[in-house]
Amino acid sequence: MSSLDWSVLAVYLVAVVAFGVWTGRGNRRIEDFFLAGRQMRWWAVGLSVMATQISAITFIGTTGQAYTDGMRFLTFYFGLPFAMVVLCLTLVPFFYRARVYTAYEYLERRFDARTRTLTSLLFLLSRGLSVGVTLYAPSLVLSVILGWSESATILMMGGSTILYVAYGGNKSVIWTDVAQMAIIWIGIFLCFGTAVAQLPADLGLRDALALAQTTGRLRIMDTSTSLAAPYTLWSGLIGGFFLMLSYFGCDQSQVQRYLSGSSLTQSRLSLLFNAFLKVPMQFLILLTGVLVFVFYHFHPAPMLWNPVEMRKLEAKADPAELAAVRQRYAAAEAQRRTTAEAWTASRSPDAEAAYHAARAEMDAARGQAVKMVERINGGARYNDTNYIFPSYILAHLPRGLAGLVIAVIFAAAMSTLSGEFNSLATATVVDFYKRFVNPAGTDAGDLLVSRLLTAFWGGFACLVALRAGQLGSAIEVVNRFGSYFYGSILGVFLLAVLTPRAAARGAFYGLMIGMAAVFAVSRYTPVHFLWYNVVGAATVFVAGLVITAASPRDP
Amino acid sequence: MTSTDPPDDERVPLFGTWPRIYAAVVACALAVMALLAVFSAVRY
Repeated sequence: MSSLDWSVLAVYLVAVVAFGVWTGRGNRRIEDFFLAGRQMRWWAVGLSVMATQISAITFIGTTGQAYTDGMRFLTFYFGLPFAMVVLCLTLVPFFYRARVYTAYEYLERRFDARTRTLTSLLFLLSRGLSVGVTLYAPSLVLSVILGWSESATILMMGGSTILYVAYGGNKSVIWTDVAQMAIIWIGIFLCFGTAVAQLPADLGLRDALALAQTTGRLRIMDTSTSLAAPYTLWSGLIGGFFLMLSYFGCDQSQVQRYLSGSSLTQSRLSLLFNAFLKVPMQFLILLTGVLVFVFYHFHPAPMLWNPVEMRKLEAKADPAELAAVRQRYAAAEAQRRTTAEAWTASRSPDAEAAYHAARAEMDAARGQAVKMVERINGGARYNDTNYIFPSYILAHLPRGLAGLVIAVIFAAAMSTLSGEFNSLATATVVDFYKRFVNPAGTDAGDLLVSRLLTAFWGGFACLVALRAGQLGSAIEVVNRFGSYFYGSILGVFLLAVLTPRAAARGAFYGLMIGMAAVFAVSRYTPVHFLWYNVVGAATVFVAGLVITAASPRDP
Repeated sequence: MTSTDPPDDERVPLFGTWPRIYAAVVACALAVMALLAVFSAVRY
């Protein structure tokens, strides 16, 4: 990075911490600290909801996914607008009118303390572990691409977030999210504009889209009915609907955002704002990834996107074998460029066939290199999708702009982390400390404990991230952990608001049965993870009703 | 644990009623999906 890029990143970091501390002044009670005094307007809460959802790895991972696979991933968000409407009709009014701090607190009112404690504990376990991965994943990518120390990147990202969240609580979270979301939107438009501007002079946007289309990169609607197929229209609409219901309705990191609204109307509008904007935003991000794919037809594309693995390959692989693979790749790449130019000029079937043959040869050469990496890494699977977009930023964006886009990646990571640190502290204080340890604490004492617990969860996330490199496949386990019970918790909330007769015993044991069902489906069937939430919610709902009906009535 | 009583809710900001707002959101979502299907299918 140039000194201008470094300056842009430094200004961003200093400004965001200062802004967070400044906007977080004046907390007197935990209602101020955790719910921003319930005084926020819909647009601020809406941007915060959006910023909490878009993590750094979403930003760099989805552009990479569009490069390698196309825009099918967009269907993942198709259920979101419908989920927002259903939440506005169901859970949001219940939460808001109950004046709760956490979603799980509502379950004690409706069922019992046991159900509240279990659901809150599940949230703390899954979110507490996954927030470390949220921090680790972009830190790893940035450290590899930029040559920074991984630990320094983790501490810079995590430490600066802890500073303003522990001081200012939810007010700081929401206002910094607003600023960070503005930076993210600017970054998205700049990246999209730059990707278009950097296409060859004789290649229009229509030609670029045609080239992407002939490789299947523009295919969005996959109408396959296979439950094992990833990102189909149906898994997006139905599975995505349940996933978004679970995430926005039962995950404290999101519930806490809209509970900060100054009225029920403001809370509802914040979610509907996301219903309007989320799909178009993801479309732009994915389309940028597709344009980067086209861009690399006319500029040299690295054979491997992870430079550390490339250096390892150069050091450990058989030089003759590596030279042969490189030669094959370079020849195929040149051929791909020539045939792509010929096809965009003529659009003839023969030119298209020649282009596809060159592309297949290039993929085969890269596949050979990937196999070599996997061989020297003892068979460990190699995936460099997340490195594509950062590599493009550093190599091809103008000076200053590269620093801004790296700041966008920081903003995306920190906006997610801030909401998660804040919500983890809220669940710990409200569902455990104030419930079991010190229900009659003073405002000052509770506020101090809340700040300390925010710092604790931030420190814990940094610790998990610093150790994540040694966890290996455990990271995948952590990532999957949440999906085992997300839908099941949703089932408990559906029981609570849709069935007045459902009893506490039905909810509690239904939750256990739901989690067991999801575990069995994930373990013994090839069903794609987007369907787990449907399985969990439906099982808990049915099991809860059956157990309630079979149980003696409470006196 | 609860806080003070909730304030009176505000009037519906657009379209007069919440069901109309929800219908507008659903219609907009369906329109966006239809546009995406067209974007994906049209020959460039």
